[in-house]
Amino acid sequence: MSEAINVAKVMDLKGLACPMPVVKVSKGIKEVQVGEILQAVTSDPGALTDFPAWARTSGNEIVKTETVGKETSFYIKRTA
Amino acid sequence: MNLRPYSAAELFQWLTEKEDFLLLDVRNNVEFDRFKVEGPYPIHMANVPYMEFIEFEEESVAKVPRADKVRIVCAKEGSAKYVGEILVKNGYRDVAYLEAGIKSWGNYLAPARVSGTDGYELHQFRRPGKASCSYALVSGNEMMVFDPAKNISAYQMFAHERGCAVTKTFETHRQADYISGSPQLAASTGAQIIGNENDFHGAAFEYKAVQDNEIFNFSNGGPEIKALHMPGHTPGSTSYLIDNRYLVTGDTVFILSIGRPDLGGKAEEWSKLLYKTLKSKIDVLDDDLIILPGHYIEWGEANSEQMFIDTLGSIKRKNANIYGIQKEADFVQFIVENIRKQPDEYAEIRKVNAGLLKVDDEDQEIMDLGKNECAASMYANK
Repeated sequence: MSEAINVAKVMDLKGLACPMPVVKVSKGIKEVQVGEILQAVTSDPGALTDFPAWARTSGNEIVKTETVGKETSFYIKRTA
Repeated sequence: MNLRPYSAAELFQWLTEKEDFLLLDVRNNVEFDRFKVEGPYPIHMANVPYMEFIEFEEESVAKVPRADKVRIVCAKEGSAKYVGEILVKNGYRDVAYLEAGIKSWGNYLAPARVSGTDGYELHQFRRPGKASCSYALVSGNEMMVFDPAKNISAYQMFAHERGCAVTKTFETHRQADYISGSPQLAASTGAQIIGNENDFHGAAFEYKAVQDNEIFNFSNGGPEIKALHMPGHTPGSTSYLIDNRYLVTGDTVFILSIGRPDLGGKAEEWSKLLYKTLKSKIDVLDDDLIILPGHYIEWGEANSEQMFIDTLGSIKRKNANIYGIQKEADFVQFIVENIRKQPDEYAEIRKVNAGLLKVDDEDQEIMDLGKNECAASMYANK
C-alpha cells in the first residue's frame, strides 16, 4: 500500500447502475466537510469515466482511484 | 405525453428516413467523443452529460434545445430515463430514451437486400454503430453468413424467418476491431467455420482451413462460392467470390481506401503482401464485379439505397491514388505515411476471435463498442 488516506466516509455503491452511483455520491459528498475524503466503492464499469466527469462538473477532486477486479474505489476530496 | 422507450431499430429508421428530432446524448464527454451515433444525414445532436443534470438541473435543462421530439441516448438506459423525466417535468412533450442504451445501437444490425434473383438471396447486414457490414447468402433451405458480428440472434432470426438452417460461417480474416460471431453461431447452429490458417492457426475452436481457389456449394447447387486468398490486411485475408458476380472482401477492398496492413505490427512486411495482392489478385478481376466490403468510413459511401456496395471499376476510379501506385516502395511509403494508432482493445479482440481469451458478456460489450479503425487512410481522397 502507498500512503494511507484518511477517509471520513465510505459509500458502498456496488451493484448500482447509472445514474444511481453519481446521484448518491453527489449527495454523499455533502455529508463530509470541505477538505475531507469520501471513499466511493463502485462496480459499474461506467463509473470509470463517469466519476471523473462528475468530479469536474461538481468541482470536487478525485485524489486516488483504485481498481481491484471488478470493483473501483474513488477517493474524493470535497473541495466545493 | 409520458416518457417512453425507443429501440435501436426505430432510431435507425428515423436516421435513414431523415426524421426531424433532437438526439440528446447524456453520456460524459469522454464517452461521447469516443463514439457517437452516425447516420446518412446530418443529425441534430446535443451532448449534455447526465452528471450536469444531477448537479445543476435548471442550467442543464436550459442547454437542451427546444425540439418537438427529443430522443435521449446514454450508456445503458438508466441515465437517459433520469434525464427524460426531468425534461418531461420541464414541459418537453415528446421525449423518449434508448432502450438498453448505446450498446444496443452498437450491436444493431440492419439487413438490406443486395440481390434477390437467380435462385438465391444476398443480404448486407449494416452495423451502423461499428460502420461494418456482414453478409447472408440464402439458397434453398440453407443460409451461409460472412463475417458475422456477435449479435448472432439477428442472423438466426433471419434464417428462421426463411425456414433456413445456418450451415457455414465464413471469416474473411481474424478481426481486430470487433468480436466475431462465428464461434457462437457455430456452437448454437452447428454451422461450419471457414477461415484461413494463417489467421486462425492455434484457434481454440474447430474450423475448416480454406485453400486459395477452393469452391463451396449449397447442397441444392445454388450459387458457387470461391475463396480467393488476398494477404495484406492480415496474412490470412481471404475474399469470397459469389456466383462470379459479388466479392465479399472483408478488410481488403473498401469503397473508400483499403484495409490497413499495419495492425499486426509488421507494417512494411504486410504492405508488401498487400501490394502483391492488389497487383496480382485484384487488378485481374472484372471491373463489373460488385464489391461487398467489411467496413465503411462514412455514410457518404452508401449508394442511393443506403447500401455499401459498388463495382470494382468504380472503386478503382475513386481510389486512383491507391490503385494507381506502380511501385512497391511507393505503396509502402503511402501506408507508412497514413499509419495512425490502433485502439488499445484490438490486441484483446484478436485473442477473443481465436478463442484464446474468454471474457464475460459485459466486458465483451465494452471491447466491442465503437467505430472501426480499419482503413489505411481515413480520407483517402480528401
